[in-house]
Amino acid sequence: MGFVWHIAVRYFRSTRADAHIRALSTLTAGGLAVGTAALVLALAALAGFQNLLLEDLARHTPALQIEFGRGAAVEGAAATEGARDLAELAAATNGVAGVQELLYARGWLADDDRPLAVEVLGYEKAPPPWIPVQPEATPRLIVPVSVALRMGLAVGDMVRVVSPRPGLTPVGPRPRARMLPVDLIYRSDRAEDTDDPVLLPLEQASALFARGDRRLDLTLAPDADPEEIGDFLRRGIDPAVATVTTWRQANRALLFVLRLEKGLVFSAVALIVAVASFALLAALSMVLSSKRAEVGVLAAMGAPPARLRRVFLLLGALLSVGGAGLGGAAGAGLAALLDRYRVISTPSDVYVVDYVPFLVRGTDVLVVLAVTVLFTAAAAVIGARKASLLHPVEAMRSART
Amino acid sequence: MIAVSGVTKAYQDGAVRRQVLRGVDLVVARGETAAIVGPSGSGKSTLLNILGALDTPDAGSVRVDGVDLTASRPSALAGFRNRSLGFVFQFHQLLPDFTALENVMMPGRIAGRPTSSLSAQALALLDQVGLADRAGAFPQQLSGGERQRIAICRALVLEPAVLLADEPTGNLDSRSGEQVLELLDTLRRRRDTTMVLVTHNPEVAKRCGAVLRLDGGSLAPG
Repeated sequence: MGFVWHIAVRYFRSTRADAHIRALSTLTAGGLAVGTAALVLALAALAGFQNLLLEDLARHTPALQIEFGRGAAVEGAAATEGARDLAELAAATNGVAGVQELLYARGWLADDDRPLAVEVLGYEKAPPPWIPVQPEATPRLIVPVSVALRMGLAVGDMVRVVSPRPGLTPVGPRPRARMLPVDLIYRSDRAEDTDDPVLLPLEQASALFARGDRRLDLTLAPDADPEEIGDFLRRGIDPAVATVTTWRQANRALLFVLRLEKGLVFSAVALIVAVASFALLAALSMVLSSKRAEVGVLAAMGAPPARLRRVFLLLGALLSVGGAGLGGAAGAGLAALLDRYRVISTPSDVYVVDYVPFLVRGTDVLVVLAVTVLFTAAAAVIGARKASLLHPVEAMRSART
Repeated sequence: MIAVSGVTKAYQDGAVRRQVLRGVDLVVARGETAAIVGPSGSGKSTLLNILGALDTPDAGSVRVDGVDLTASRPSALAGFRNRSLGFVFQFHQLLPDFTALENVMMPGRIAGRPTSSLSAQALALLDQVGLADRAGAFPQQLSGGERQRIAICRALVLEPAVLLADEPTGNLDSRSGEQVLELLDTLRRRRDTTMVLVTHNPEVAKRCGAVLRLDGGSLAPG
């Protein structure tokens, strides 16, 4: 054991002997334990909720999407042709597992009584993955439960799908409409389901809503990088015709809010660690005050200021590492238990889940420990600097006065 | 070995500037002993601190064991103190969290000496002062005389060229004081150590080769 360890370990043991220093060092360790545990718990709760949210987002948002811009042919056969060309280009790209063409539009559902404005989504091949439909089924009209309730619709009822685009008839322009049976009523798992669309096969949606917004949703291979494939596609597509958006870009605002939320919660809870670090500084100052003459003697015997500084830095680490480590482990363990046994419940009609999920991420724990080390190191550096600046003669004299 | 020339030192005491040393000259040859005597507040300890590289003079030059202390950097002075100087303080200044043996070993630990050989050396010294059986005791478990003998062992463990002692018997009864002085003399002779001793006790001063009186900030034969 070198000189620095020898002195620091002995001073650490001596903190048990003095009641005031013992109280302060216990407060330091306890404060750091509570602070790190609270930080780990808070981040685990946030990560749990955000993870659910991102999983939900992944179900509703394609990894990559290609949206047609104003320069593209927006109507009729030309639009269909343009979409098909881009779909072929995308499907041939390495890492793209599937391409689905979609059409978004606004229209009405009308029964005998009244029309109801709805979002319409035309889909190609099969409904999007968030529609709970049997693989062998090929439904034509799929209605969200919110619309079905408002219109009193049941599976098998006939309903008119009306487009705002008029068609010319011998008696003048009339809205385009098609009478279709309700094949399926779906309940979205989204918290906010008022905007859930009515779904139609693409051919029928195109015939009714030719001016709708066309989009290609790309499914990627499991190990494919959306950013990389997005960059590749952008190089081959005229930006005036279509834009390529990754799921991160599409949800940029939400992801920013999630990061902001995490940062704010982290900063607020980290204040506990900051306060505990002040206690560490106070404990180190008290140790230094009680060891002032001894530090002077060590300096007189030739201990250089840098080594005296290291003694107190190490002492700071010894006073804080136990609390921080214990707090980190306790926080992670508690979070795992709370998640496993679903201890904290939430109202299921408000939230997506009926319990508070916790997800302990290794990186989060490392960040918490790094921040704790940063705070305590800052406190220890101040204390250690005071030790190294002591004048040996003045320090020894202080013991006698 | 010790050559001091024209050393001055003043302290600011509130609004008053107190001139403690006024052009002090001092030469102590290798292996010699010098006692500095004088009334309280005459600057004896200040001079000793300057000789021990614990304080710096306002003017003048100080050479100890071939090193110009006024021209050295603080980190170099720390190494010099560890390597070449031994200190014995009036109030022993043992480290209370360490045993007698660990206290004696401390300068060697600062120097980075191997623990095993250092421990043997420290034990041998404790044996010479009759305290080998107290090696594991903490300072608070020792008498005043025992503490001062351990402080002497600590000062001599690295066999320094110069030993500086500030009132080494000032806090002891006459019997313990006598024992400590005997010990200092014996160990010093064995190693041919140069010693400067500060005291206001004429009996203690008489045991040294040279007696110098510090009065009014100047040094003169006592």
